[in-house]
Amino acid sequence: MNFGFYTLSAALLALFAIPLIIFYFLKLKRPRIELPSLALWRQVMNDTRVNSPFQKFKRNILLFLQLLLLLLLVLAAMQPFWHGASDRAERLPILIDNSASMGALDKEGGATRLQTAKERVARIIDGLLPEQELALISFSNTARRRTGFTNNKRVLREALADIEVEDVPSDIEDALRMAQAMGRAAAFEEVLLISDGNFPDRANFDLSFKLNYQRLTPAGANIGITALNARRSVSGMWDVFAQIEASAESDLSALVEVEQDGARVARDSARISKGKTQRMVFRVSGEKASSISVRLVPDTFDSLASDNTAFLDLPAARSLWVHASTALPAFRHSLAAIGGIFLHPEDGVGKRADRYDLLITDLVPEMEIEARTSLYIGLVPDDLKPLVEIFQAGSGIVDWRRAAPLLQHVELGDLIILDEPRKKADAEEKSFENLGYVVLAHGRRAPLLLEKRSGDRLQYFLLFHTDRSTLPYRVGFPILVSNLMQIAMTEAGISEAHGNRTGMLPPLKLTAERTYRVEQPRGGVVETTADATGAVSAVPAPFTGKYVVKDGNTQVKVGASVLSTSETTLAGAHEIRFSQGLTVGASETPAKTDRSLWKYLALAGCALLLVEWWFFNKRPRGA
Amino acid sequence: MDNTSQKPQLTSLLSNATLDRLNRLRILPVRKLTNLNRGEHYAGKEGTSTEFADYRDYTPGDDMRFVDWNAFSRLHRPYLKLYHREEQRHVVMLVDASTSMRFEDKLDRAKQIAAAMGVMALQNNERVSVYVSRKLQKGMPQRMPPSSGRANLKKLFTFLEGIEGGGNEPLEHGIEQMLQYHSGKGVCVVLSDFLTFGDMKRAFNLLFSTGLELLGVQLLGPSELNPEITGDLRFVDSETQQTLDVSSAADLLAIYHEYRAAYEAEIAALCQKRAGRFVSVSAQDSVESVVFDWMRRKGWIA
Repeated sequence: MNFGFYTLSAALLALFAIPLIIFYFLKLKRPRIELPSLALWRQVMNDTRVNSPFQKFKRNILLFLQLLLLLLLVLAAMQPFWHGASDRAERLPILIDNSASMGALDKEGGATRLQTAKERVARIIDGLLPEQELALISFSNTARRRTGFTNNKRVLREALADIEVEDVPSDIEDALRMAQAMGRAAAFEEVLLISDGNFPDRANFDLSFKLNYQRLTPAGANIGITALNARRSVSGMWDVFAQIEASAESDLSALVEVEQDGARVARDSARISKGKTQRMVFRVSGEKASSISVRLVPDTFDSLASDNTAFLDLPAARSLWVHASTALPAFRHSLAAIGGIFLHPEDGVGKRADRYDLLITDLVPEMEIEARTSLYIGLVPDDLKPLVEIFQAGSGIVDWRRAAPLLQHVELGDLIILDEPRKKADAEEKSFENLGYVVLAHGRRAPLLLEKRSGDRLQYFLLFHTDRSTLPYRVGFPILVSNLMQIAMTEAGISEAHGNRTGMLPPLKLTAERTYRVEQPRGGVVETTADATGAVSAVPAPFTGKYVVKDGNTQVKVGASVLSTSETTLAGAHEIRFSQGLTVGASETPAKTDRSLWKYLALAGCALLLVEWWFFNKRPRGA
Repeated sequence: MDNTSQKPQLTSLLSNATLDRLNRLRILPVRKLTNLNRGEHYAGKEGTSTEFADYRDYTPGDDMRFVDWNAFSRLHRPYLKLYHREEQRHVVMLVDASTSMRFEDKLDRAKQIAAAMGVMALQNNERVSVYVSRKLQKGMPQRMPPSSGRANLKKLFTFLEGIEGGGNEPLEHGIEQMLQYHSGKGVCVVLSDFLTFGDMKRAFNLLFSTGLELLGVQLLGPSELNPEITGDLRFVDSETQQTLDVSSAADLLAIYHEYRAAYEAEIAALCQKRAGRFVSVSAQDSVESVVFDWMRRKGWIA
């Protein structure tokens, strides 16, 4: 049976019919009207009683209407509902995707995917029965709990209304983990996932509940920018690379406009269809730091607007500041062959940089020199001293990471080393990782080359001295130095620039321990404080556009854009594969929900009252 | 200049202007019902009035004074001139003054119409008597004895003005009681709402057999012509105090109108079968409208 009552005990309210009937007959007092004569009316009544089968009914129509009204109210109080689903969940977490692709329209002037999802959830909230509880979780690249389990419809509706599209790619795992965490406090069997399916179809998650994956109908055609970066050319200009992709099977065309600091510097047209990638290159000036914005103007309907703009911040052209210890002639000799650098301390620069782009040293005092990228030779950092110890003994490299940027194309086999780092007795491989080190080259008894990133600093530790090895005499040595230079240039941001993605702003170097206001493109404001080194990091950037970071005197503008192939192509996963081999398929039909009927009965009761009022106050016929 | 406006008001029932108009009118009965008393109405038989009626052959014994000597000189045969006989007609009026007539000026309008008819009758040398049907009691009813002549106008007005409503006498009973005291042929004007539980057939038969031509005037108030009622009600009869519970009264109005029309048609048919006439008017209509419009158009008066 698809029909039921939630509060069957409310049927006892029907007992009110007894006093209603009693009071009706006790209190029935008809208005008295004195007439000249009843001669005609008596004949009328006699005739009516004979000919009208409903006369007795009409005599007590007021009682009948009152009983009918009571019946409707009792039925409403019993809270009848119509079963929409075969089984009814008492607690249901609902995961709502609010990533960038959910802002895509189905047609021109139509509804966004998120609006469609909200309508589905709103229907579920409307049909919520008193014993049922919902929890709302929205997710994009991270999940956010909007409500705990509640049956308060007002709270649920307000939370639902607060959900808005964030211009970031989606990641379902975070949302599933949050739902799983909620399940520890309040058990449930099923989770409802409403999304357009634009997330990785593989999830590293052990599913411990039934997942009802409601996939929204695909949005309309879309074209957008999926990548934006720049590389400095030999002439000192910047080559800006923009990647355009589309979601439609048929060709979509758009005009691509490039602006540098607000002035248009290039314009081109793009024509692309699904599965293809169009890369466009624009050459812009690189004399000074500038801000590049690439804007896509589609010729036809474009379902997603947030991926039509991308931003790129280009640093000013400058030489690399390098500090190489004078005790390392091999390194200095190799560096001197590379142009475009200021080599300290003997290069006659005339001044010492506050912070170097590259530091190469084998002296402990010089370890204090500030540099973005550092290579320490034959030096053991303090935190590694409990783990490793250097001995004077012959050694060699057992293995190395050939794909590491520093060691690309560097052959280290048959390298002779007269220093032998040895792990101490209680040191393990994992102990290095726990301290944040990545081992790039292994010796016989301990790591020989380590990498560590701390903040915006990248450090390499060579645990043997190159002067006591054959490394400076190897063909790979200048390659190693060249790799180090490339890494230093990349870290300094003067050789390449990448468009900032939404989600999190890139770390900024500002005044230490000062609080900044970050004005978001849609008007929101957040506050953040720079750390002791002046780094401002972990600033949320959920929307495409320019973010203004400022305090009283300083103002920095940083652009962020979607730059996601999956979001732009509106790819929709038809199924999700979980780590234990489980696969959950998508359903495109909305979940059937229980329909509460009490409000219809209450409306019928109100209508009945109006009918009763009209019936007893209507103008008599023929009057 | 309007002379009537300067005269003192003769009665509160009718204006002087109305009285002036009534002086020029007379009741027109269908039947020639007169009394032996000499009057101004042809009796349909030979008489001694000055109005020539016919000739007939002389027969021995006839009064020689009526022989037409001019005809005898031309024809050499005696012919007797016949003249109309003019007798007096009796106009009796029955005013229903029961409690039901006190509603919505029905009794006042009845008294005005009775006054108008009485003025016409008295001005035409007819005998006028007025009976009041009011209380269900034995004994002589309230009445104005037969009177004739213009000198009795004041008496008529005084009597009519003095009629008070109240009582529960059915109309048919009032007619029967009236006929116990009435004698003479003529016209009987019945002014009532005719709303009675009894059978009017017997009362009308008695009027017909007595030699009275019935002129029935039904007076109904707005609440009887177009009642505006709705909901569950308890009706109370003003005369008998009987009650009647009605539910959804608005639904019954259409049936009520059908019954009222049918009842009027029935009373009219009863009158017509007895050479009488019947009219139903609203108590809201003015007496001038009823007399000079309704009655003249229907040929009751001329």
